[in-house]
Amino acid sequence: MCQKESEIKQNPSHFEGTAEELEMSKTIQANYMDYVKDMKFFDPHIHMSSRTTDDYTALVDAGVVAIIEPAFWLGQPRTGLASFKDYYSSLVGWERFRSSQFGIKHYCTIGLNSREANNEALAEEVMEILPLFLYKEGVVGVGEIGFDDQTAAEEKYYRQQLEMSKEAGLPVQVHTPHRDKKKGTELSMSIALEHGIDPGMVIIDHNNEETVESVLDQGFWAAFTIYPFTKMGNERMVELVKKYGPERIMINSAADWGISDPLAVPKTAALMKIRGISDEAIKMVCYQNAIDAFAKSGQINVSDFETPQEIDQSLKFNGNTVLRGGQIPRVDKNSIFIS
Amino acid sequence: MNAKDNLFEIIKANASQKELNWIETKATGSLQSLQTAFVATPRFISKTPINTSVTQKGIDFQTWTLDKLVRAYFLTSLNISDKETYTKTLNTLFETAENNEAVALTSSLALLENPETWLLRATDAVRTNIGVVFDAIAFENPYPQEYFSELAWNQLVLKCIFNDKPIHRIQGLDERTNKELATSISNLAHERWAAGRSIPPQAWRLVVKYLDEEIFEDIKRLFGSESQNDQIAAALVCKYSEFGAAKSELEKHPDLEENTKDITWSSLEL
Repeated sequence: MCQKESEIKQNPSHFEGTAEELEMSKTIQANYMDYVKDMKFFDPHIHMSSRTTDDYTALVDAGVVAIIEPAFWLGQPRTGLASFKDYYSSLVGWERFRSSQFGIKHYCTIGLNSREANNEALAEEVMEILPLFLYKEGVVGVGEIGFDDQTAAEEKYYRQQLEMSKEAGLPVQVHTPHRDKKKGTELSMSIALEHGIDPGMVIIDHNNEETVESVLDQGFWAAFTIYPFTKMGNERMVELVKKYGPERIMINSAADWGISDPLAVPKTAALMKIRGISDEAIKMVCYQNAIDAFAKSGQINVSDFETPQEIDQSLKFNGNTVLRGGQIPRVDKNSIFIS
Repeated sequence: MNAKDNLFEIIKANASQKELNWIETKATGSLQSLQTAFVATPRFISKTPINTSVTQKGIDFQTWTLDKLVRAYFLTSLNISDKETYTKTLNTLFETAENNEAVALTSSLALLENPETWLLRATDAVRTNIGVVFDAIAFENPYPQEYFSELAWNQLVLKCIFNDKPIHRIQGLDERTNKELATSISNLAHERWAAGRSIPPQAWRLVVKYLDEEIFEDIKRLFGSESQNDQIAAALVCKYSEFGAAKSELEKHPDLEENTKDITWSSLEL
């Protein structure tokens, strides 16, 4: 999410690699989609409200059939409860519909993000309306919640939301902090265990080489965000899958309003394929594990995105009908004519 | 029969015993329990299509699914003795509605207490870009015919035509035609023609009673259209219209006159 110069220096971007890797990236990148053209993908963390229709088209073309949009920080603090309410409504309303226009099944997780937990007066009000949204169709978890600055207020609302997840029988999608990540990750996990939550119901997000081992050892799901500069690069990700195998590991783009890449999942799948990781393992990391983890909500019906749907008249929007199978009304970007 | 009992009869004929048990435990509960039950309905109730010939306030439930009907039933089960609480509860449901909830709420507007007080929710559903919610107010719904002003009604019909939606599914379509709407349709057609596009042929059924010199020019143009359905629409307008020149215009196209003798607008209901 936030891009800080200091963090870029600490975590060198994925452009640095061996001479061989550099050469390969030059020759292969142009046609990377050929390597994954028959694969399906599930991106369990992507903020589509911050993205354009072009991104939806690109996701469809790359084989992404379903996504999860976690509730998050909008880049600036909200000043009232109504803003939260409208935002949560949009995740189960307008954005869900917009996604359906492209034939992508849209799920979401609902929660109070860690940064805004620090406005305690407002956070209290948000806690009251969260249950209204947690029980809705297609809400597959409480998220993204956890720590940012690791303050007492953040901990308080993290704990309250863990209890809500237990009550609702929903998985938890845990955001781990940018700063002091290792400590924040350990703290997030120990608090979840303290609340008696089954680690199999918790997806620890934004892992890296330093955090993954402990997450897997304790039985949690380990999610990795492939995000330029500040989080994981996908070459590092390939190495991690080689080292730890595909069990309980999933990747996501966390694409949002920052410089991010909505195609991070298919691109990383292609790189895994090129680097010799098996199709079975790629499927687990880029599709199946995310479904298995979030389906514990009881809100994912795979036939919604695995079987092509009938044409639904109600999905007509401004005269356009969006169908599955690449039949989206296309705009030829190279044409000077707009008709 | 009141709405609540009537809906429950239809539910009984369509739900399993397990589903009925769940509904019964919730329907007698507190306001909060009903509100939560409304939200949680799809977790316990299937989405099977309803099979019934029973209607309520002109709503044909044949196009509904069971989960939607159960949600409507919970709405009719809300205690109406305290008007303020009743209104507040429904407002919360509208404001936090997920798409399928919004559909259930919108389709049930005519079943609510004092339906006229929910007019803004109804016109908001016309304003939405979410297709399923728009369809819920537009189609198989008695609310617009009964409660919409002419302005709101015309917006609904025009938005349907603009988005190529099937206007014949609007209840009261032929009863609520008006001069303003006929003029708007003519204007829309002119805009479309200027852009090299067209309007759905059955839209012309709305101008029949309001044919005048100006709109009649549009009909003459339709006779010359390359689209056969446009030509049929022109013939049907002339067939049903009492406008002086209409009959003689139709006679100029004997083939069309013959072909449309035994058909109605339903042949253009696409």
